[in-house]
Amino acid sequence: MSQDDTSKYLPLTESTYYIMLTLVEPLHGYAVMQKVDAISKGTVKVGPGTLYGAFTLLEKEGLIVKVREEDRRKSYVLTPKGKKLLMNQIKRLEIMTRNGLSVKDHYD
Amino acid sequence: MAENTIRKFRWFWPWQDEQEEAWLRSMSQNGWHLLSVGLAGIYRFRAGEPYDYVYRLDYQIHKKKDEQDYLQLFSDAGWEYIGEMSAWQYFRKEVKEKETPEIFTDIESKVTKYKRVMAFLTFFVVIEAICVAIFAYNIWSNNPYSWWGIIRAISLLIPLAMGVLIYAVIRLVLRIRQLRRL
Repeated sequence: MSQDDTSKYLPLTESTYYIMLTLVEPLHGYAVMQKVDAISKGTVKVGPGTLYGAFTLLEKEGLIVKVREEDRRKSYVLTPKGKKLLMNQIKRLEIMTRNGLSVKDHYD
Repeated sequence: MAENTIRKFRWFWPWQDEQEEAWLRSMSQNGWHLLSVGLAGIYRFRAGEPYDYVYRLDYQIHKKKDEQDYLQLFSDAGWEYIGEMSAWQYFRKEVKEKETPEIFTDIESKVTKYKRVMAFLTFFVVIEAICVAIFAYNIWSNNPYSWWGIIRAISLLIPLAMGVLIYAVIRLVLRIRQLRRL
């Protein structure tokens, strides 16, 4: 299976990247909002309008799937296609970071 | 006991949602809190203590089964749901911290909201185009049934409505460009 499937979604926006990162395990909406705030150390906040739109789009593209619905809250998790996209994005970010750090060292 | 309520009429275009949000906030700061929204342009306010509420609008056309999950998400995030007016969803939240509460935390999702409105309007532009074609045909062919005057008068509304719709789509495109430039 080629990488071409997922590279059309790259680069992900900051919000989408963090949302997908938290959905490695099943979570419902508000839990995603809290976790993104925590793991990004408060640098990325996701509002409910943004999150609902992201869920709708990611589900439509087959990148996440609904696993559960409790108390009117839907829980989602990454699909295999979603995991592949996330890994792709992380690899790109690794290269970007390495380049960034070498420039940073140069100026320090 | 009758609550002190007033009704106001104001028209906001889809690309003026931020102005609408600012107006609702200033009403609350003056002690008038949004109670409900009705048919296009009608707002009901109840009297109360002046309070700094931020109002935010989303545009969503819901299937019944998706609505509860949508509202629960906003509720969990601390947003109070006021109601719906023509697929526009009204939410409010107290302003407590220094940061103004937002339901859209990045530009792309704001853009997507305007695109949803555009998709809805474009559907009507297509329907209008078909109506224009039908009525144009009726006028320029020799129609023996001459409710001539009435048909002609009504058919003028069709291109007019078309003009308004196209204008709305253009204004939304400009609003999206404005957002992306920031």
